[in-house]
Amino acid sequence: MSVTSLQKQSYPQTSAELDVELHKVFKVFNGETAVRGVDLNINRGEFFSILGPSGCGKTTILRLMAGFESPSAGEVLIQGQSMNHVPPYKRPVNTVFQSYALFNHLNVWENIAFGLRIKKLLSSELEYRVKEALKLVKMEAYTNRFPAQLSGGQQQRVALARALVNRPAVVLLDEPLGALDLKLRKEMQVELSNLHQNLGLTFVMVTHDQEEALSLSDRIAVMRTGKIEQIGTPTEIYERPRTAFVADFIGDTNLFKARKESYDASSLQIVTSTGMKMIVQPPEAGDMGQEVIVSIRPEKIQLSLYQPPMAVNCFEGRLQHVMYLGTHVHYVVELITGDRLTVMQPNTHGHLPDPHTPIYAHWAATDCLALKE
Amino acid sequence: MSTPTSHSSIPNPTPSDESLEPNLQVGKRRSWKKLLEPLALLAPGGIWLGLLLLLPTLLIFELSLVPNIRPGDVVNPSGLKNYLLVFQPIYLQVVWRSVYFAFGTTLVCLLLGFPVAYWIGQMAPQRWRNLLLLGFVLPLWTSSLLRSYAWITILRPTGVVNTILTSLKLPALDLLNQSAAVFIGMGYSYLPYMVLILYASIEKLDKRLLEASADLGAYPMQSFWKVTVPQTMPGIAAGSLLVFINTLGDFVDPELLGGASSMTISRLIYNQFLGATQNWGFGSSLSMVLILAVSIAIALLIKYGDRTPQR
Amino acid sequence: MTNDQYTRRRFLVASAAALSGLTLSSCGWTLAKVSGAPIKTTAADRKVLYIYTWAGYTDDDLLKRFNDETGIKVVADVFGSNEEMLAKIEAAGGGEYSIIYPSDYTVSKMVEKALLTELDHSLLIGLDNLFSRFRDPIADPGLRYSVPMAWGATGLIYNSQKLNIAPLDWDYLWAHKQDLSKRMTLLDDVREVLGATLKMLGYSYNSTDPQEIKQAYEKLTQLKPAIASFKTDAWQNEILSGDLLLAMCFSSDANKVIQEDKDNKLQFVVPHSGSSIWTDTLVIPKTARNVEGAYAWINFILQPDVAAQLCERLRFAPPNEVAYNQLPPEIRNSPSLFPPESILAKCESIAPLEQVAEVYDNYWTRLKSG
Repeated sequence: MSVTSLQKQSYPQTSAELDVELHKVFKVFNGETAVRGVDLNINRGEFFSILGPSGCGKTTILRLMAGFESPSAGEVLIQGQSMNHVPPYKRPVNTVFQSYALFNHLNVWENIAFGLRIKKLLSSELEYRVKEALKLVKMEAYTNRFPAQLSGGQQQRVALARALVNRPAVVLLDEPLGALDLKLRKEMQVELSNLHQNLGLTFVMVTHDQEEALSLSDRIAVMRTGKIEQIGTPTEIYERPRTAFVADFIGDTNLFKARKESYDASSLQIVTSTGMKMIVQPPEAGDMGQEVIVSIRPEKIQLSLYQPPMAVNCFEGRLQHVMYLGTHVHYVVELITGDRLTVMQPNTHGHLPDPHTPIYAHWAATDCLALKE
Repeated sequence: MSTPTSHSSIPNPTPSDESLEPNLQVGKRRSWKKLLEPLALLAPGGIWLGLLLLLPTLLIFELSLVPNIRPGDVVNPSGLKNYLLVFQPIYLQVVWRSVYFAFGTTLVCLLLGFPVAYWIGQMAPQRWRNLLLLGFVLPLWTSSLLRSYAWITILRPTGVVNTILTSLKLPALDLLNQSAAVFIGMGYSYLPYMVLILYASIEKLDKRLLEASADLGAYPMQSFWKVTVPQTMPGIAAGSLLVFINTLGDFVDPELLGGASSMTISRLIYNQFLGATQNWGFGSSLSMVLILAVSIAIALLIKYGDRTPQR
Repeated sequence: MTNDQYTRRRFLVASAAALSGLTLSSCGWTLAKVSGAPIKTTAADRKVLYIYTWAGYTDDDLLKRFNDETGIKVVADVFGSNEEMLAKIEAAGGGEYSIIYPSDYTVSKMVEKALLTELDHSLLIGLDNLFSRFRDPIADPGLRYSVPMAWGATGLIYNSQKLNIAPLDWDYLWAHKQDLSKRMTLLDDVREVLGATLKMLGYSYNSTDPQEIKQAYEKLTQLKPAIASFKTDAWQNEILSGDLLLAMCFSSDANKVIQEDKDNKLQFVVPHSGSSIWTDTLVIPKTARNVEGAYAWINFILQPDVAAQLCERLRFAPPNEVAYNQLPPEIRNSPSLFPPESILAKCESIAPLEQVAEVYDNYWTRLKSG
């Protein structure tokens, strides 16, 4: 997998345009390998997300960038400089911590001014910049409050301001919105996106929330057990997942184990272990062996009560569950082969079919991806 | 945000007569229980404190109002003469020396105790911590008198320290019979208390705050002063106060190690009660002044000491 | 530190126990009035004798011999100062003790407080054995309440190998303060230190003249920079190791240290212009449970061979002339155990001060905090 990601980035940009680089970085904790040979190039000004389930090593990567951990092997570079022996307090990065880590003995103003005071800024300059940062996060009215007197969202803003006021080259965000409730999270996502666009800084965000990653990021790295599974833009990751893990982790999907039947330049015919024959989109990366996994996104599946004419990849079954979700309707279809399909349809009719209705499910060959296991 | 809780504005529905009676009874029983439970919890400690702390203090207070009282005299309170005695220059000098010993010892304990407590609380492996603390408290199991005698043996001109120094061709140190010896001896005795209290505070120190500080550019020393110290301030204050109060009342080490000018307020009080010149009234007024000073220190700590988490 | 080393007026040992007794004793509301309720004695009480004594006055051999002779088992508790003992006795209404060992000046206090049983001299055997000067002390004329059992004087113990000129009198300290600088200790006791200085100036050890006391204080301030410390305890190891050249101490302590002194460098002298002399006694408190046993104990201690053996084993001086004559000459000639008569004649016992106590205490506090 790392081979493919290398290929994808095989045209090295000039280092001047790269803010963060990881070269074959390993990190071992007490015999447990948390990061296994990660290569990453993050462009200047990019909003880059590292996405993965908990324990995949994504936070460790962020900590390696911040300097709280040092790599067991490999190299971390920030703006072209090797950071391996640079302590956190000398790195041009600032972190927004997962639970904010605000200084509870200091008020909002002093929390934000902390970094500037360390740098011994002139008081006029300091005042100007703290005010600016407060304005940026809309916290001007709270300068004298202590962290314990703020709501979660307000603390989040202070944490952001505390990092941004230092004008770092790279802002590292560790699950920045993880502790907020859904509505607040949506609001903050928008603000985070605006901040990024206005400031033009490089943001590196760690998250386990795929929706957050998709909506905010320029590029996403999906991680699994210490390795990067795929790097790409949100559409690439969603539409063209390179592995079954990525397809499954990003959004819902229907996965089938299958074997190749016939193969030509434009199409690939496979048969699933339950005997379903499908025509699928061949993978980009050339030959991949006989065994494949087939992924079909729920929203790409069409349902009809009557057998459609001329349809490829059409299978008969019956509705098992119908779940009304407002904008969408969620169906579970049990096929004659015994397989189950998850189907998502926009709510256009307002009329729902009854469960147990016999039904036909079909999809285009281009919506059906053959993936490596 | 827009409306206050709506429940409170809705009047309670009028209960029927039948339901009113039993409800009231339950309420009564509850309120009795509400009164009795804290009473039962507080009574043993309250009686203990009342008998062994409050009552003796009141007795001392009454004695302090009697000039020139001796054992056997009838208690006959008659004014504040004893208190005026306390503020004579010689006694103020004694008070000053006691404060000097106590303050110096507190400083020694703080300077030596903080790194140790920090190491145990933040850096030592978790499973060793209790054992390390236990090891640190171990000296408390020996008699304090014995420890003071041991320090004499260590610090005297031909003692352990100087034997080592001269064998290393270093100049001998004159340590015994001066304030330095008092700081060493008392510092040693009270260090475990300081370490225990600091440990409790340092162990709770959020390491992420130190990371945040480093992330914002603070060198380790800056992080220490700007984050670690403020964050552990309750422990520093409590530990210092505990050591200060205890050393203020200690006279063994000043007497044995402090040389010829070693009169402390506690020894002065002792002399008034059990020395050759007995003046219980003056001794009591000295005690009351000491109690008052310590109480004020504690009150200040409670009011201003622990203001980190909320304000 | 073994218990044996604590003998008289041990402030440090006494302090903790004594202070705890204090609060209780003041609860009686006129301070320290001991209840005079009659004591019921049972047969069981007669089998055991509780005594309250200084450390170093009894040992297992003594208790065993008494048990062999009388069948009475002795339980000994130890106190560190007269004040501590008094506080505890007053607080506990006498406690279970049938014999107590107060020093002379405390006997008069206890008589004043009506704590003691008047002794029936017809039950005592061997009072005639005492030196005549112990038979009619000022503190208890006619020995109506107490029987002396040990005595001693305050003096100077010094390192004869390091001091070229041996001290003979108190003025030595002032004359040689350069040589002694920070290598001498004085007793941590207002009466002894001021008393000795008064004596040196030609006044009484118990002077009640504020002018004389002031002179003594001023004399002491000249000596102060040379004094290492005021210590009643803890000078022993330092003088044995040679760190101290001289210490003011009680003869009873000096005897024990000289015994431990392997290279015979230590000598004790009672200063020639006189010093304080004290006597420890046996008394029976009014609350005694075993009066019969108490008389047996007094008579036992008065036996010349018992007193002589105690003197040899535990190194304290008995006031018992017959016992003295039985002692081997090297003990009889020890200047620390038995100072010459000529000097003893100039010694005084410490007397209560009454009103001037405050003056003493004031100068003492000044001296020790200056």
